[in-house]
Amino acid sequence: MPLDIEQYLHTERLPHMWCAGCGIGIVTGAFLRAMVDLGLKREETVVVGGVGCSSRAAGYVDVGTMHTIHGRALAFATGIKMARPEFTVIVLTGDGDGAAIGGNHLIHACRRNIDLTCILFNNQVYGMTGGQVSPMTGWGDLATTAPYGQVETPFDLCRLAEAAGATFVARGTAANIRPVEEYIKQGIQHPGFAFIEAVVPCPMEYGKRNAPGGVLAMLDDEKARSISKAEAARLTPEELEDKIVTGVLHHKVGRPEFQRSYASIVARAQAEAAEQAETLQSESGGAVS
Amino acid sequence: MLNCPMHMDQWHSHLLGERVDQSSLVIQGNRACALGALDAGVRFFAGYPISPSSEIMEAMADRLPAAGGVFIQMEDEIASICACIGAALTGELAMTATSGPGFSLMQEALGYAIMVETPLLIVNVMRVGPSTGRPTAPSQGDVMQARWGTHGDHPAIVLAASNVADMYRLTMAAVRFAQRFRTPVILLADQLVGQMRESFSPELIGRYRLTSGDFDFTPGYIHPDLAREVHRPHVLGSGSHPHVTGLFHDDTGFPTNDPEKSDSFLRELYNKVAHHRNELCLYDVKNEGKGRVCIVAYGSCARTARAAWKLADQEGLPVEVLHLYTLFPLPVEIIQQVARRVEFMLIPELNLGQYAHEVRKMAEQWTTVIGMGKIDGTLFTPREILDRIAELIGKYESV
Repeated sequence: MPLDIEQYLHTERLPHMWCAGCGIGIVTGAFLRAMVDLGLKREETVVVGGVGCSSRAAGYVDVGTMHTIHGRALAFATGIKMARPEFTVIVLTGDGDGAAIGGNHLIHACRRNIDLTCILFNNQVYGMTGGQVSPMTGWGDLATTAPYGQVETPFDLCRLAEAAGATFVARGTAANIRPVEEYIKQGIQHPGFAFIEAVVPCPMEYGKRNAPGGVLAMLDDEKARSISKAEAARLTPEELEDKIVTGVLHHKVGRPEFQRSYASIVARAQAEAAEQAETLQSESGGAVS
Repeated sequence: MLNCPMHMDQWHSHLLGERVDQSSLVIQGNRACALGALDAGVRFFAGYPISPSSEIMEAMADRLPAAGGVFIQMEDEIASICACIGAALTGELAMTATSGPGFSLMQEALGYAIMVETPLLIVNVMRVGPSTGRPTAPSQGDVMQARWGTHGDHPAIVLAASNVADMYRLTMAAVRFAQRFRTPVILLADQLVGQMRESFSPELIGRYRLTSGDFDFTPGYIHPDLAREVHRPHVLGSGSHPHVTGLFHDDTGFPTNDPEKSDSFLRELYNKVAHHRNELCLYDVKNEGKGRVCIVAYGSCARTARAAWKLADQEGLPVEVLHLYTLFPLPVEIIQQVARRVEFMLIPELNLGQYAHEVRKMAEQWTTVIGMGKIDGTLFTPREILDRIAELIGKYESV
């Protein structure tokens, strides 16, 4: 019997292109199960990826899918959502795609609070190009472009998204996937910009240079470092440094959503235009050419 | 998408220009471009402010909501073109407008639009110089960028507007070409053409026929020669759920690394434009067959060329003018036809000979191709061109 998720999966495209032990598939699975639970219509769902390992997930999902250019998935998605407000538009991106080259689009999508769902797969490294440092690589970690160790501090992407104006922000890990599925479901249903960061292991390009190394150890490590928002509130900034704060971290209702706000502008402009048309018609005695 | 409640064209033209009588408007070039776009059915605009093109964006911000369309000011030009491509992939007619620095930022996404065969209009109101240059002075320095700016071999359709009426009608032509060939079309204007005000009549625009003769500006126009269809259109939604990628892809839409498929895909992409050159090449010849010298000009230089021709006529100099509205695909046939009958081709450009070089490649076996370049942010005067012609003819006669 086929699995429920297969209705949204290009099974003919399997096996997928990710490395053994990669965490992207785990989160993609959660995304597919969320789609099944929500019963998303294939004709009215568009999944947009940028460029990178995680963005390739779009190519396995059997809805309208786009594999775009590096960093710009949210900009493409903004155009799709504004042109077709009835569509459910989901962006799949990575930490390089979404937080480095696409960082500006991320904060502006948050600021607009446009009704998109952005799932950012954070594997702390550029996997596809062979293990270069990313804006999410930890301080001191090794990468091909940080052979002496990374000396830049990573973002806290969830706090960034919240500060920029996203109205649903959650973080989870591949090590504990059920809650991630839940966040994705809530994010898609949320009428505003939903940002979900999923911390995933990259044993091949990150794990081979950094402790704890193998995929199982990495998953265990993710689990060990995960704490809830409530637990995090009791810790000092120093104690928080290597923790992964998980859960729905921010959920705000009432902030205007961009597409709906724009629709009200359209309604107003059309009413005004109709009025102007009438005035013009009567002024020119109905003979406007 | 909301429906337009009335014949909006009347009210757009009323509000964007100043009516001088029942049929004529005095209107700025950039606003005429916006009007042309609205009349052509463009209902999506995403852009970023930049001189000297911002009036196009402002006019769209003003008029699109009433037309039931979408206007967004994005965070940069990259986001602008990407949002347009996203909208275009749902079947919406989309456009953006910019100037040099913004056009540079758009290049990668422009290639994506070509690769995924998305109809799109990009207007580049050129300013002079590289980098920030001089934002409020005209130039034609982005001609080769429009042709080859994005990486990789690719087709390009590039039109050039020389006056306010062109800003209207070539915008419409560009939109039709984009729809028909499912590829982005670049309309080049410059600071002069974009920001000047001139009178023209949108109602009478059908009378402006170009010599290529086979382009009609009536709505819904489809050229009868549909010999080769472009690839299966990707439309997100509306019953289909395709995969769209900028990787080499086959008919299924999914990526391929097959050398044979890669080759045929790219060649077909290239040829869908190259094989329809006659339809795409819009031009106009003045004083046809009566010149020893032909001034080949486009954009604001074509205005000067026409004025020079009128002066030449008074002074008895044998001059014809080939006014090009389409720069790419290269109008090989008309260039070679003219090259066979004139002694000189003189090409005044507001750059250092970008297009003269293209013409030279096509024409030098028949005629002497002379470029005239100007890069100081000012225009040629008709007298400057005429003096050069007199010099050329004089030199020829003294030999």
